[in-house]
Amino acid sequence: MRPLDPRLIRRIGPARRHIVVTAGLGFLTALLILVQALLLARLLAPILSPTPLDSDGLGWWGRIVPEGARELSTGLAALAAVVALRAGVAWLQERLAHRAGVQVISQLREMVVAHVARLGPRWAAGGRTADVTTLVTRGLDDLLPYFVRYLPQLALAATVTPVMIVVVLGLDWLSAVIVVATLPLVPVFMVLVGLVTRERSARHLEAMQRLGTRTLDLVEGLPTLKALGRERGPAARVRALGDAQRHATMGSLRVAFLSGMVLELLTTLAVAIVAVTMGFRLIDGGIGIETALAVLVLAPEVYLPLRAVGTHFHASADGLAAADAAFSLVDEAPTHPRAVLGAAPDLRGARLDVSGLSVATPDGARLAPAGLSFAAAPGAITALRGPNGEGKSTALLALTGLLAPDAGHVAVGGVPVLRDDAAVELDGWLAQVAWVPQRPDLGVEGRTLSLGQRQRRALDRAFGSGRAVVLLDEPTSHLDRASRAEVIARMRSLADAGATVVVASHEPEVLAAADSVVLVTALATEGSS
Amino acid sequence: MSAPRGGRGDWAALRAAIRETGVRRWAVVRAVLAGTMALGSAIGLAAVAAWLIAKAAQMPSPADVAIAATVVRFFGVSRGLFRYLERLASHDAALRGVVTLRERAYDRLARSGARTVLGLRRGDLVARLGADLDAIGDAVVRALIPLGVAAAVSAIAVAIVASLVPVAGLVLAVCLLLAGVVPAMLTARSARIAAVQGTLARAEVTTAALSAMDGATEHRVWGVSHEAADALQRADRDAEHAHELAARPAAWAAGAQALFSGIALVALVGLGVLAARAGDLDGPGAAVVALLPLAAFEAIGAVPAAVMQYFRSAAAAHRLAEMTGTIPGDQVDGGTGALPAAASSPLTLDALSAAWPGMTPTRPVTATVASGGVLAVIGRSGIGKTTLLTTIAGALEPAAGAATLGGRDVDAAMTGHAIAMTAEDAHVFGTSVMENLRVARGDVDEDAAWRALHLVGLEGWVRGLPDGIDTVLGPGGRSISGGERRRLLLARASLSPAPVHLIDEPAEHLDEEGSVALRAMVDAMRREGRTVVIVTHDHSLLDLADSVVSLDD
Repeated sequence: MRPLDPRLIRRIGPARRHIVVTAGLGFLTALLILVQALLLARLLAPILSPTPLDSDGLGWWGRIVPEGARELSTGLAALAAVVALRAGVAWLQERLAHRAGVQVISQLREMVVAHVARLGPRWAAGGRTADVTTLVTRGLDDLLPYFVRYLPQLALAATVTPVMIVVVLGLDWLSAVIVVATLPLVPVFMVLVGLVTRERSARHLEAMQRLGTRTLDLVEGLPTLKALGRERGPAARVRALGDAQRHATMGSLRVAFLSGMVLELLTTLAVAIVAVTMGFRLIDGGIGIETALAVLVLAPEVYLPLRAVGTHFHASADGLAAADAAFSLVDEAPTHPRAVLGAAPDLRGARLDVSGLSVATPDGARLAPAGLSFAAAPGAITALRGPNGEGKSTALLALTGLLAPDAGHVAVGGVPVLRDDAAVELDGWLAQVAWVPQRPDLGVEGRTLSLGQRQRRALDRAFGSGRAVVLLDEPTSHLDRASRAEVIARMRSLADAGATVVVASHEPEVLAAADSVVLVTALATEGSS
Repeated sequence: MSAPRGGRGDWAALRAAIRETGVRRWAVVRAVLAGTMALGSAIGLAAVAAWLIAKAAQMPSPADVAIAATVVRFFGVSRGLFRYLERLASHDAALRGVVTLRERAYDRLARSGARTVLGLRRGDLVARLGADLDAIGDAVVRALIPLGVAAAVSAIAVAIVASLVPVAGLVLAVCLLLAGVVPAMLTARSARIAAVQGTLARAEVTTAALSAMDGATEHRVWGVSHEAADALQRADRDAEHAHELAARPAAWAAGAQALFSGIALVALVGLGVLAARAGDLDGPGAAVVALLPLAAFEAIGAVPAAVMQYFRSAAAAHRLAEMTGTIPGDQVDGGTGALPAAASSPLTLDALSAAWPGMTPTRPVTATVASGGVLAVIGRSGIGKTTLLTTIAGALEPAAGAATLGGRDVDAAMTGHAIAMTAEDAHVFGTSVMENLRVARGDVDEDAAWRALHLVGLEGWVRGLPDGIDTVLGPGGRSISGGERRRLLLARASLSPAPVHLIDEPAEHLDEEGSVALRAMVDAMRREGRTVVIVTHDHSLLDLADSVVSLDD
């Protein structure tokens, strides 16, 4: 898996900026770690060397920390400065990572929401809205740990590790060989462990999810069981499912933690070998104490970022999965792009001729409506009736122009204006159309209202809009008898004032008030059972 | 939410929850020991390696450092091994605890009064018994055990240093304490800010995002799409600001941790070198004192994350306790199975008025239904029909008046037994059609099941399913439409043995054919001598009923 999504860098400004800043801070950290190690070697060498130190054990790197640092006061002062700087970098890193993380999340969220709004009703009917809702309200939050925990460690792995290898090479080539030889083993072994255990962990994961779903199903149904007096049995079943889930989980963890163990094992063992090798060479006089101390302190630093990257691997996987879900969605093109047929006609006093209108259901198994033809005259109420799921709401949506039909068209004055492949300019069309869906949304404020109140508000808006075409979807549901009578009366007066009213309903009172009633029917498509 | 997040009540709730998980002390101790061995190996490696290098610099014979060399290699291997063991031990302990806790919570909920259970919202139930329980398990894995390991490992490091230079040991102890406590306090502050400001801001973001997506088509029609986008942007900016406030102490925590470990390093290098110069300590000892701080702070670095986890887990435990804590005055089901009232006893509503606490009571209604009779309660939406039904079921105390069955006041012990109920949002389980019908009664045989399906007009649909009556429904199985779901629930209701059955909005989502099925079912129940109460806003159902009462003014 890629540690970094290139789309984050290309398309999300705050992400790009933050990655550059994090890399910069990574180099600064590498430099500070280096200086700290060299200072420690300088400070400790004089008290450990059996004979006075006559040469510079740090070679070229001695230029960064001169021999004067062997003096306790000088060395300690420099060390204190390094420590203060490292604390400052840690503070800055955390501060910037949080800021960048939330900005990236906001931007992705706004991007996804705007795109879903553009994709239109056909996409919304496809049944993926629940996933997208989870993504924008919770899923994207997984990017925060990615930015705050994982990315900085990734930057350190890309900066500190190579810098330290170069430094160790300059100090003591044999230690550098040990380090460089073990480094590739880390990914090799992790991949090997992954390959060997892949099938097992997939099986465990699947079992875990299945058992988890079943447990939650029992939990969800508790009020139902209580209402039927059958609530006492399932506790034991919850326990049994839980135990089975625990077995599956432990099985998968036993495997999953193996790669972590390999990582820790290789990295600490390599440090131990470097130390032991240097110990024996010190006895032979093959290496100076100042050099050995610097290498001893630096060797673990080579591996530290790698270990941290491994620790935060899950943060990375979840965060990248969320980003990937967002980008894939945004890159999804609308399924029915339509050409523009020119300006929208004036709908005042115009008759809408619907002919052969068909819209496929999301699964493609049915056409609902199938071949719907009718004329909606101005000054009249046209009612669409029919059983649930036959396509009444869909027909109204097609009349708004926002849903492209699969076949058929809507014509005004004999000229098709809404076709499957083309439509008149929608902004001009929409400005003349009022539509009240089944569960109206009145913006953020509307969310505090009850369904009935929202329905009434939305109807008020439509009745008062003065638009030429008024489309109403089950306008009397969630309303009491008195309100229903009022809605029907207002529909009537709207039509009398010359509006074209189309209403989908199966309420007898509404159908009775209509000037014409059209039956909407669906049809199974050929080839589906 | 009565208690504030992170308040004393939350901690107590978490302690109680962890006690209830039945996680054995020994399992936790074992995990802490393994963790201590793992991070102790890192300290051991640093200390012995420093000693080895320093000793070797004095050019002794190789035999003098042979043992040290072996020990260094051992520590090189043991860290990874013990870390693996620790992770397995801690996760196993936590998972066992979660399973036990879930069973107990479920059982307690099932036993608690009908009022508690029927008052639960479905999403709450899943969140509490799912995510919140896992969060309590995480308290063991990500808070309790890392804190124990941090304490043990720090003690080891201090002991090693103190045995060489006592003052240095004291300095290290103070620095470790500060590196643990100061970031912990700052992190706690950050968590509190996030809980208060962040939660509000997030709720706004969710509302704005949902409105912009769900209402997209409507917004297009009315030309207000940009307003929805702006509302989301505003909510996002507010959320960013709230997060910024919470991130500030978190950043100071990260800085403080680096600072205190650095101070320890500077101080111990100084003390080690001075002790060696004064001749109080040999070179290798000084090297150990000076270089140990580099490894000693790893364990304490886990403290802020552990504190955050403690907060999350405590809040989860609080929510769980709030839900499973029985409402005062709610009658607890003693599990006697409650006497099913004699089939011939009439159901009487005597000026009955219903209300959940804080609600305006419904208009009093009076009615008597003989067994085998059908009563319809009519009223517009939001008037309290479902509340009245819950009261007739015995789950809720009447706000005024009384409901009696066979002359006895209905009570929670009758709920589900003498008086069963099919709620508007009754659950269809993710199991077979057959098992879903058996929810009503465990001993339903296949013939009875088919008869019930035939009654509600679902027979053909079920025969057309891939595995017939054994087809698994719901997530992972066959999805069902609103109308099919409603009919399946009616079939289930018809199989219930309870002499009285209450049905909430039976005609919702039903087309004409469905209404016919509903009538057939009610007729069948009437023939069996069962009493049926339906509440609805659909006036076309009134001819079904022997008597009708209205909640409308």
